Amino acid sequence: MSLDALTMNRLFGYESAFDHPVTRWIVSVAAALLVIAFLLIFALGKWGRLSAETYRELVARTVTWAWLVPLLFLPILAGAAWTMVGVLMLSILCYREYAFATGLFRHHVTSLVVVIGILALSFASVDHWYGFFVALPALGVVVLCAVSTVVDQPEGYIQRTALGLFAFLLFGFCLGHLSYLANDRDYRPILLLLLVTVEMNDIFAYLSGKLIGRRKLAPRTSPGKTVGGALGAMVMTTGLVVMLGQWVFSGTALGKMPALLGLGLVISLSGQFGDLMLSSIKRDLGIKDIGNTLPGHGGLLDRFDSLLLAAPAYFHYVGYFRGFGLDQPVRIFTG
Amino acid sequence: MERWDYTGAKDRDVAPGQRPMCTRRETGLVGALVSLPWWILVRGYLRLAHRLHVCGREHLPLDPRFIIVANHASHLDALSLAAALPLRWNGHVFPVAAGDTFFEKPSAAWFAALCLNALPLWRRRASGHALTDLRDRVEAGHSVLILFPEGTRSRDGRMAGFKPGIGRLVAGTTIPVVPAYLEGAHRAFPPRARCPRPTPIRITFGPPRFFADQRDTRDGWRAVSAELETAVRALS
Repeated sequence: MSLDALTMNRLFGYESAFDHPVTRWIVSVAAALLVIAFLLIFALGKWGRLSAETYRELVARTVTWAWLVPLLFLPILAGAAWTMVGVLMLSILCYREYAFATGLFRHHVTSLVVVIGILALSFASVDHWYGFFVALPALGVVVLCAVSTVVDQPEGYIQRTALGLFAFLLFGFCLGHLSYLANDRDYRPILLLLLVTVEMNDIFAYLSGKLIGRRKLAPRTSPGKTVGGALGAMVMTTGLVVMLGQWVFSGTALGKMPALLGLGLVISLSGQFGDLMLSSIKRDLGIKDIGNTLPGHGGLLDRFDSLLLAAPAYFHYVGYFRGFGLDQPVRIFTG
Repeated sequence: MERWDYTGAKDRDVAPGQRPMCTRRETGLVGALVSLPWWILVRGYLRLAHRLHVCGREHLPLDPRFIIVANHASHLDALSLAAALPLRWNGHVFPVAAGDTFFEKPSAAWFAALCLNALPLWRRRASGHALTDLRDRVEAGHSVLILFPEGTRSRDGRMAGFKPGIGRLVAGTTIPVVPAYLEGAHRAFPPRARCPRPTPIRITFGPPRFFADQRDTRDGWRAVSAELETAVRALS
């Protein structure tokens, strides 16, 4: 065990939550936006600009945001250990929604392997053991394919094994990158930058779709999306990423212009494809929302779909330029 | 290429707090992980403390798609009947419990749902809808219901008449109904006692009855419950 003061501070050091200026800005802007959103909705409601139904829908949505934002931010601020616990919960809850929607939950053995795999990914993150982290998808294939034969039920083998693997890769491995990223000394601003820009990317796509969207992007997958919305989001998200990124990544190879532009495009594209991916999954299953956990939004997955593909894309793009946690001790528990 | 079969959970649209009360509830990973140790403990306890003895196991259908009806004299009844079935059916055996006793408090409801795998039936306001849900669930397969058609535990150990609700559940269907008689459960844990006493319990299963040509009317329901009452009495 090599739990020195540096590691303890990263894992549990809530005192250093606001050390980085970008963390301070993002938290205060998010809090301010929530207050403004509430005031705006109440004002519009008072002046009778909204129908009763729209008003209820908007209030439900904003109330959900009002507890969701602290729920997302507090673990990140509290320390890397809590961040990893938060990502673990998110992974498991997303898997639960998916399993209930696809019917995979009836295969308890497959489900158990997926959950154990997600726990193992969390352990690899906490331990700061990159080798194990990237080995787990391969080990997941081995164990899932093997264990799925144990019930001696060849009919439906491909379906349950593939559904399990797909879930493990998306909700375990892809989301797990958010957890592994917390091994960096500056994980707070790096993680908040991704969360904020991915969520804003959704909002930018919606707004610019309303303003300049005419041609449908993928009418069979998601009738609401337009080419204009997608392009508008790319421009606006890249702008936001360049603005925040030059502070977060100053002093590294990523703090310069062409690299930051690339980062903006990576976040915006992977975010939008994640959104389209979940729309395709829902169309294929024939359902509108994948869960009912978040009033006004649908399920957790309906809210965090854009993170699924953006998390690994962002991780490896940033990792190419600056690496993660290079100055931190590795294999804290197993080393 | 054929489409994959995605049948989502039947209770997916139910609010999280309402899940224990939902008669369409399905067992997920959490339910399986909680109920398996629970039932292993209950089986061990019944075998050791009550020397649970089961006769007529050969009458049980091979597929877990049937209903067991029995006399009701103690809280050990449903536990004993479920423990008499193969452990591999764990998660597919559903004791039907009184909603007003087991499902009013949230903590009790979660215990009944997660450990006992019980489904609620409200005694005074049992709607036709609730019975249809239960019937659909057995007809679809992978469900064994344990029912006590007397409607409540006998206070003196003697069996009361069967209520016609069971007829409403099975009249005109191909669902097999297995009669069972429990002996000794009342002595082991009478309704007024606080703790069970370690006295023997014996279960006798009878051959299954079918009610496919019974009409789904009030008279048909009464005929079904009368026939099952006679069948259970005959096993005593």
